[in-house]
Amino acid sequence: MISRRALELATAVLTGSFGVAVVVSSLDNGIGWSSAGVDAGTFPFLTGIIVVLGSLYNLVRGLLPAATLANVPIAITSIELRRLAGLFVPAAIFVAAIPLAGMYVASALYVFAVLAIPRQQSVPRALAMAGATALALYLVFERMFQVSLPHGALAAFGF
Amino acid sequence: MDNLAELLHGFTIAVTAPHLALMVVGVLLGILVGVLPGLGAPNGVSLLLPLTFGMQPVSAIILLSSMYWGALFGGSVTSILFNIPGEPSSVATTFDGYPMARDGRPTTALATAFGSAAFGALVGVILITFLASWVAQVALAFGPAEYFAVYFLAFASFVGMGGAAPIKTVVALALGFAIAAIGIDTVSGSVRLTMGVDELVKGVSFVVAVMGLFGIGELLVAVEEEFHARAVSSTIDWREVFRAVARLPRHGVALLRSAAIGCWMGITPGGPTAASFMSYGIARRFSRRGRHFGTGEVEGIISPETADHAAGTSALLPMLSLGIPGSATAAVMMGGLMIWGLNPGPMLFVDQKDFVWGLIASMYVGNIVAVVLVLLTVPVFAALMRIPFVVIAPLIVIICVVGAYSVSNSYLDVVMMLGFGIVGYLFKKLFYPLAPLVLAIVIGDKAEDAFRQSMLISKGSLGIFFANNLVTCLIVGGIALLLLPLVLQLTRLWRKPASAATETSVQEKVII
Repeated sequence: MISRRALELATAVLTGSFGVAVVVSSLDNGIGWSSAGVDAGTFPFLTGIIVVLGSLYNLVRGLLPAATLANVPIAITSIELRRLAGLFVPAAIFVAAIPLAGMYVASALYVFAVLAIPRQQSVPRALAMAGATALALYLVFERMFQVSLPHGALAAFGF
Repeated sequence: MDNLAELLHGFTIAVTAPHLALMVVGVLLGILVGVLPGLGAPNGVSLLLPLTFGMQPVSAIILLSSMYWGALFGGSVTSILFNIPGEPSSVATTFDGYPMARDGRPTTALATAFGSAAFGALVGVILITFLASWVAQVALAFGPAEYFAVYFLAFASFVGMGGAAPIKTVVALALGFAIAAIGIDTVSGSVRLTMGVDELVKGVSFVVAVMGLFGIGELLVAVEEEFHARAVSSTIDWREVFRAVARLPRHGVALLRSAAIGCWMGITPGGPTAASFMSYGIARRFSRRGRHFGTGEVEGIISPETADHAAGTSALLPMLSLGIPGSATAAVMMGGLMIWGLNPGPMLFVDQKDFVWGLIASMYVGNIVAVVLVLLTVPVFAALMRIPFVVIAPLIVIICVVGAYSVSNSYLDVVMMLGFGIVGYLFKKLFYPLAPLVLAIVIGDKAEDAFRQSMLISKGSLGIFFANNLVTCLIVGGIALLLLPLVLQLTRLWRKPASAATETSVQEKVII
C-alpha cells in the first residue's frame, strides 16, 4: 500500500534530483555571458534551477497535511501494486533480455511467459501467439520496412 | 479570396487515389490505436513516423493527420460502448454516452457523437483555412525576440489555463526543456548534459519520450484498474444514424458553443482533453436539462465531442503558422515536419504552399473518410475489445519497445523509454500534465535558440523583449498568464478559505 503523500514525495525527489543533475552538469558548459553570446550552459542551468525550486515546492506541499491530499490518502492499494508489478516486472525482464536474446526471441519468450505462466491461456495457444508475434515483427520490420532489429544470440546461427 | 483558390489547389493534391488510400489506412490505424487503451494518438503517430521518412512530406502528413482523426473518433467508440475511454480526451464522452448506449440506444449515442465530432472538426478546419495564412503573414515579420515571446506565451498559457496544478506544470515544462537540451548544442556545438553517457550526445528523441510517457505510462494506469469490458450491443441501425444526425441542428447553440470552446482551447495550447471537460461542464451549467446530465443526455454527448474534435483540429493552426503545436499529438507531428526537412512556421505558407494547402484540404476529406469508416467498423473494433487485456498488454509493450528502438537503432533508447514509462505513470497518477512536457521536448531547442539570438542582437540586454508594442504585449500577456493561478488562489483565499480544497480536486480531473 502506497499513500498519495509518499508518491508525491518520491516524485518530487525524483524530479528534484534530475534538476540538481542538470544544474551541476550545465555548469561545465559555462553559464552567463561571453564573447559568443549567451553561454551554452545558461539555459539548461535556468531550467534546472526551476525544476529544483518547483520540486521543493511540491515536496513541501506533499509534506504539509493539506486537505487535497486527504481526499485520496491511498494512491495505490496492494492489489493494484501487484497488478502493476505483474505488468512492469516482465516488461523490464523482457527489455533486459533484448541485448542477449535479440528482439525476436525475447519478445516470443515474453509473450509466452506472460500468457502461459499465470494460466491465462493454454500452453499451445500461448506458444502459437508467441510464434506469431515474432514472425509478425520479422515480416513487418525486417522485410517490409527494412529496419533491422537486434538479433542477439541468433546472429551466431547465421541470422 | 486567395485562400479559397489555394484551398481548391489543395484539393487537387489531397483528392488523388494514393492520398485517399493513405487516408483510409491512416484512419483505420488511428481508430485501432484510439480503441486500444494504452495506445493513443501521440504514440500512434510517433510509431508511424519512422515509416514516413521515405515519403513526400505532404503524403506523410496526410497519413499522420488521418491517423489523428481516426484516433479521436476511435476513443469515442469505446467510451460509449464500454465505458472505457480509449483516449484521455474522450473521458467526458463516457458521462452521457455510456448511459445512453446502456439504455438500448447505442446507435443514437454513436451517431450523435460522430455527427457532433465531425461538426467540431469542420469548424476547426474552416478556422484554419481562413486564419492560418493570415497568422503566418503576421508572423513573417517576427524577429527572434518576437518568436521567443510567442513561445513564452504558449508555455505560460499551459501554466495559466492548463487546469493542472501550476507548479506541477512548471516542473513538467522545465523538465522538458532540460531533456531537449541534452546532446549537442546547436549554437555553440558543445556537448551538454550527457552526464558521462557518451551515447546521449545524439540527444533524447521525443519519440522515445512519447512511447514511454503515453504508451507504457498509460498501460500501467490501465492495468491498475481491472477492466470490465461489459459491452452493450454494437450493431448499427443505419436509419437511426441518419435520424440522429438530422436531430443535431436542434442543439445548434450547444454545437456552436462547444466548437468555440474547442477552437479556443486548441489554439491556446490547452489541448482536446481540457476542452472536452470544460465544454461538458459549461453545457451542464447552461443547458435547460442540465439536471439530467449523466443519464444519457444528447447534449452531454454533443458538448465534449464537438469540443474535443474542434480542439484537436485547431491545434494544428499554431503548429502550421507559428511552429508551436497546440496539443501533444500536434507536437509529435511537428517533430515529424522537422525530420522531413520542413521548417514549421510562417515560411511554410511561402515555401511549401502545396504541403500546407494539401494538408488543409486533406483535413476536410479526411474527416469525412473518418466518419464513414468509423461507422462501418464499429462492430469490428468492438469485437477487438473482447480480447482480454492480458493478451493486448504485452503486445503494446512490444510495440513501444520496437518503436523506441527503431528511432535510431539504439538499445539505450529502449531503456530510457521504460524509464519514461515510470515517469509517465507517476505523472498521470499525481496529475502532472504530460502535454507541456512533450511540447517542451519538441520545441525547447527552438525557444532557446530564439532567446540566445535575441540576446546576441541586443548585446545581452533584456530590454529587447520590450522594444516594440507587439513583443511587449506578448511578454506581458505571458507574465499575466503565469501569475493568473496565483491571483486566483489569492482571491479564493480572500473570499472563502475553506472551499479551496474542493476546487483543486475538481481541477485535477481536467488534466491532459
